[in-house]
Amino acid sequence: MKYRYRVIAAAFAIGAILGCGPFLSHLGAMGTAPEEVTTEAGTPRSETLVIELGGGRVANPTQTNPYMPGTPLTHGYHQLNISHLWDVDTVTGEQFPAVAAEPAEPLGDDHRQWRIHLRQGLHWSDGVEFTADDVEFTISMLLETPALPYSGVLSGIVEEVSIVDRYTVDITTVNPEPRIQKKLGAFIWGSNFRLLPKHVWEGEDPATFNDFPPVGLGPYVLVDHDPQGYWFLWQRREDWERSDVGMISGEPGPEYILYQYFGTDEKRILSGASNEIDIFLDLSPDSFELLKQRNPNVRAWYDHFPYANMDDPAQRGIYFVTVTPPYDSPQVRWALTLATNIDQVALSAYDGMLRVSPIHLPPVAALMDAYHMPLESWMKEFTLADGYQPYDPGYAVRMGQEFRDRGMTELPTSEGELKEIFGVGWWRYDPQKAEQLLEEEGFSRDSNGQWRLPGGERWQMNIVAPAGFEPQAERLAFAVAEEWRRFGVDATVVQKEGAGFAADYFSGAFGVGSYWSMSLGLGPDVYDVMEPWHKRFVVPVGEHAAANQVRFANDEISRLLDEMSVLTSDDPRVIELTREMLKEFVREMPYIPMFGTSKFVPVNTYYWDGFPTADNHYEGPWWWWSNFKYTLPNLVRER
Amino acid sequence: MRFVAFLLTKLLVYVLIIVIGVTVVFLVPRLLPSGPVEALLARIMAGGGFMEPAQVESMRVSLTQTFGLEGTLWEQYRGFIERVLLAGDFGPSLAMFPTSVNVLIRQALPWTLGLLLTATIIAWILGNVIGVIAGYRKDKAFSKVLELIAVAVYPIPYYILALILIILLAYLWPVFPMSVHVRSAPLSLRFLATVVHNSFLPALSIIIVGVGWWVISMKALSSSVCEEDFVQFARLRRVSDGTIMTRYVARNAILPQITALALMIGGVFNGALITEIIFDYPGLGSLTYMAVMQSDYNLLMGTVTLSIVAVATATLVIDLLYPFFDPRIRYR
Repeated sequence: MKYRYRVIAAAFAIGAILGCGPFLSHLGAMGTAPEEVTTEAGTPRSETLVIELGGGRVANPTQTNPYMPGTPLTHGYHQLNISHLWDVDTVTGEQFPAVAAEPAEPLGDDHRQWRIHLRQGLHWSDGVEFTADDVEFTISMLLETPALPYSGVLSGIVEEVSIVDRYTVDITTVNPEPRIQKKLGAFIWGSNFRLLPKHVWEGEDPATFNDFPPVGLGPYVLVDHDPQGYWFLWQRREDWERSDVGMISGEPGPEYILYQYFGTDEKRILSGASNEIDIFLDLSPDSFELLKQRNPNVRAWYDHFPYANMDDPAQRGIYFVTVTPPYDSPQVRWALTLATNIDQVALSAYDGMLRVSPIHLPPVAALMDAYHMPLESWMKEFTLADGYQPYDPGYAVRMGQEFRDRGMTELPTSEGELKEIFGVGWWRYDPQKAEQLLEEEGFSRDSNGQWRLPGGERWQMNIVAPAGFEPQAERLAFAVAEEWRRFGVDATVVQKEGAGFAADYFSGAFGVGSYWSMSLGLGPDVYDVMEPWHKRFVVPVGEHAAANQVRFANDEISRLLDEMSVLTSDDPRVIELTREMLKEFVREMPYIPMFGTSKFVPVNTYYWDGFPTADNHYEGPWWWWSNFKYTLPNLVRER
Repeated sequence: MRFVAFLLTKLLVYVLIIVIGVTVVFLVPRLLPSGPVEALLARIMAGGGFMEPAQVESMRVSLTQTFGLEGTLWEQYRGFIERVLLAGDFGPSLAMFPTSVNVLIRQALPWTLGLLLTATIIAWILGNVIGVIAGYRKDKAFSKVLELIAVAVYPIPYYILALILIILLAYLWPVFPMSVHVRSAPLSLRFLATVVHNSFLPALSIIIVGVGWWVISMKALSSSVCEEDFVQFARLRRVSDGTIMTRYVARNAILPQITALALMIGGVFNGALITEIIFDYPGLGSLTYMAVMQSDYNLLMGTVTLSIVAVATATLVIDLLYPFFDPRIRYR
């Protein structure tokens, strides 16, 4: 019997040694010359830029028809291969001609006839020249294929397209479209209008054609992928100089770009610490801190506090369905604003790494110049109905002091510079005034100090927040709920996954929510992104709202939007009217604007450098946007 | 005759279970407040894609048509039953439209079966062998140590255990890959070796947790069998220890374990959700998770229907085969 146990033990020992074989060989290799490190796709690591693939694995990796609703885009297809007629410069917020050679040319005063001149010399990635035929084919195909969901969208914009010559097309729109470039080009993230190569698509059924591998005008082509959809390898085109990036920005630095999914946050940090990732998608402040401790080559937008980039074109705040009591009253919304200690919210939600916004447009650089700064004198003078002045200009200075006291001496000391980082100011924290406003509306406190509604019921508030996505909106909800609980409102946070959150959002079932979709902006002309606030989009709660999901019907704002709708983007009246609109927003406070979006989208400078940063601000760090490809010529190999 | 009646009853129950289960699978997602159209629109917006109001509305209408979500619930159900139960076609995935659900399941199934069947069977064999030794020789020191290890390992939250394995064997000593990434290739020894190397960590994590459970349950069963009269008689007859342990104790204690194994094998078709997420394993669990997250009705119905059929089949097979394992049981 003992002999039998010995045999079993020996078998285990042999198994263990065999199992450790790779480990021992790894240890043995440690003393020898290092081999060339390769990526998951087998390319030399030093020649490959590795970017995190967002959104999990792509289960349908060979579907690249850009008009099929389930086609994945974030695996480099959108960022490296697809090119738009006009793309966006995120520093200025202005569009620039990409595949088009120049801005769209109006052919009349009615804004319905447009001529588009195309860049000459552009070639598709399979070597065929790009011409007006491709533009005409794409538009005509879409108009004739209602099975593709985007067909309905384009049919509402374009009535007719015709070829003028090899590099020029004319477009007739259904309605006056003074901002046709925004309709057919990128101005945030990208555009849903994507050009197709006629020679590839002609004769195919557009509703079923997979279009794999894709042929594009961008500087990279898809050369390999994981059949399970965990990574996608793109290679620089041999004729990169005939791509849009080649003609506009020059030769992209990396020979290869690998989009790879790294899994859970823990694994992302472990992989980042081992220099397996060059470009990260959004991380929470804690994860960034952890990563930075383990890898000194990792940096965010700023090399010092507050680290995060604050120029994302989305604004965070607390939204209300403005027809649902008690949030249908501007005075209640103002009371909640004054019951919010914004300093505390900033510190709790994101360790103070936030730029505050008192108005209803995000505090990105171009909008700060056009709106936040110029409107500050008006905000200082602004009064509520009873003459109370709610504006507090001291936020930036207080935050500067707070963090200097914590030893972050690299922060500037002047008020102007601090305001550029932390924002112009916000609304006072004045619980007494908030209390007075609520009492005037019929609210009362019970014996426990908890607020009761005018009808006498306890004021219970559910703040709907994203679960597992948009971390800043998620944290903001908890920080604000804490503030309002302290004020006596029974506020709790209800987190919902993407689909459930969206359903509440569209149907207006959320009452109070933390998200950003109704307050976007990058360049001074914000008409397109603010149009959803028009009262014509208001539908009853319970019905699907394509826009104006907070059901805010305001005559003055709608009138101003109508005036703006017929102006072109460069008309100086646009800024003037927008400022008037923002004043009305402040008076009504349909949602409480709080912060711009801070994104920790770090980069690792071990293998590559030249990324856009606060010190080298030639572009924003929006790796998942279509304009990312124009930053690639700035990247240089470090090893 | 008695067997035929028994078989027909079991088959009827089998079909009923499947029909009821599939109907529930059809109804539940439709009772949720969210839908695939909203999920897709939300995904576009979350990615930063701005759409004007008219574009959102137009997109919503055409997506509803494209996804076949028009018509009454009854019309949708009738189409679903005809398509799924009669033709075995789950239709297109809504989140990855128009990729077929059948194709997605076909891609994921071998991964799930390969990992979970292997890991489950290894854990079952190891756990039962250790369990029977620990139960039969419960007073020996090594039995107590084995039981202690099993009791200590079993309650560790799976997520933590998996992370510890990743940190130890993929980060500190990078013997195995952190995620499962296997390039497709023709079937060969080299390809199989790559699959095994990539799947080692997820399999190990499942085996460690599984073994703990089998050891604890088998030890309890075999300890109980050891007290039975026939074991005592065998000892008095001086039957050898090995024979008593393997032929008397193990054979009798194993019966409930076989039932549990069969049900577990049926459950293999659920996939291993947490394992697949932690190790980036491309199996059915991660597919189901994607379906839930994106309100992909068709994909969800595909994966869950498969699971219902598998568990129902496993139960049926056990019912039919049990008399062969245990002569005390007869067809009734």
